Amino acid sequence: MTIAVLDGGTYYHHETIHGPRYRGRFDRVIHAPALTAGDLADVTTLIVPDRISPTVLRRHRDLLNGFPMAGRTLVVLGENDVMTWLDGVAWTPRPTNFWWWLAPGAEPPHQFPAPGHALFRHIRPADTVWHFHGVLQAPAGAEVLVSVPADPDGRDRGGALLYEDLTTRPGRLIVATLDPFYHHGSRFMPATTRFLDGFLPWLRTL
Amino acid sequence: MILVLTTGFDEGAAARLARQPGMAGHIAGLDQYAFDEASLAGRRALVIGMHCDQRFLAGRAGLIADFLRHGGRVVASGHHAYPILPGIGGFAAAERPTLADLTIHRLVDHPVWTGVDGADLTFRRGVAGFYGRVWHDPPDGALIVNGIGPDRRPLDFIYGVDAGTVLFHGGNDLTGYGSADDSSGRILPQLLDWMMAS
Repeated sequence: MTIAVLDGGTYYHHETIHGPRYRGRFDRVIHAPALTAGDLADVTTLIVPDRISPTVLRRHRDLLNGFPMAGRTLVVLGENDVMTWLDGVAWTPRPTNFWWWLAPGAEPPHQFPAPGHALFRHIRPADTVWHFHGVLQAPAGAEVLVSVPADPDGRDRGGALLYEDLTTRPGRLIVATLDPFYHHGSRFMPATTRFLDGFLPWLRTL
Repeated sequence: MILVLTTGFDEGAAARLARQPGMAGHIAGLDQYAFDEASLAGRRALVIGMHCDQRFLAGRAGLIADFLRHGGRVVASGHHAYPILPGIGGFAAAERPTLADLTIHRLVDHPVWTGVDGADLTFRRGVAGFYGRVWHDPPDGALIVNGIGPDRRPLDFIYGVDAGTVLFHGGNDLTGYGSADDSSGRILPQLLDWMMAS
């Protein structure tokens, strides 16, 4: 198995990818604007972290769409305009409520339709709970791991924050709205660190 | 004209700055990966935001240094993880920060922060840590405007490079401080005034 990660070159990608906590989790680091087909020749899992420039990802759309067609695993995290470059991915933006946790008695809206999924042997459901910027409409046959109900203000009908799709391609897609590389790498939200602590080792088991 | 590097999203800092009063026609957005020798010709200031690809820009640090030598102003936000600006060393943070570690202190007056209450930088909706969480090692002679933590370590600082000037903020984008309903909302218009001043 060879796990590769695209590096967006920001300070938070630097901290998360090159920092001591996760450095050993990636077999290959590819600077996103310099990605070539040759970089992926022997890669079995490719991680597209949150907040890689969508301009770059759109430029590489053929390469990225082709990757899971060969039985390999493509992981795409949030805030990448993924719907503009990955075929079959649908997304509805939702204004971000960074402050949901400040209201007295506030409960996050997150739901966990597949609590027995193998990912949850590596992370707790609560480790996926932080603000989100929109919702994904998972394709038929995909397994939704984290979802939220319809927007209380009627702007969307709800959807997935994290799903695994083993049906629409020969390989595997894992798509999320979550943006842990940014927040862990900014030393800001501990839930994002707990998420990566389990999510990255889980990828190694696939 | 102020050059703002953009990072591939439609609603980036360039669009936001161009909507500020009086700024129409004074802001030029440029995708960061198109940044080259011609990009800075005739520009007064360069804005490098926290979401910029520093790994890429580090390969063009000589262009930024030349711009400074010729009198340009550079405003940069984020943590300085790659050598994109002359003279800035590494950064560090408290491992398990307390409120005292995240408290921001005004050390000197400066036009960009005039009228901005330190408490409005320390807190947003009662939560500390949004404005900045780390400190940097600035060049000798830098003017440290805001310090963080009990030792008031450098968070915001300004220094000269020949005829030019760097204004560095080691935290969330300074250009995002334009719509707050507290005194921190003064930063963006005052920052634009500072960049436009000859």
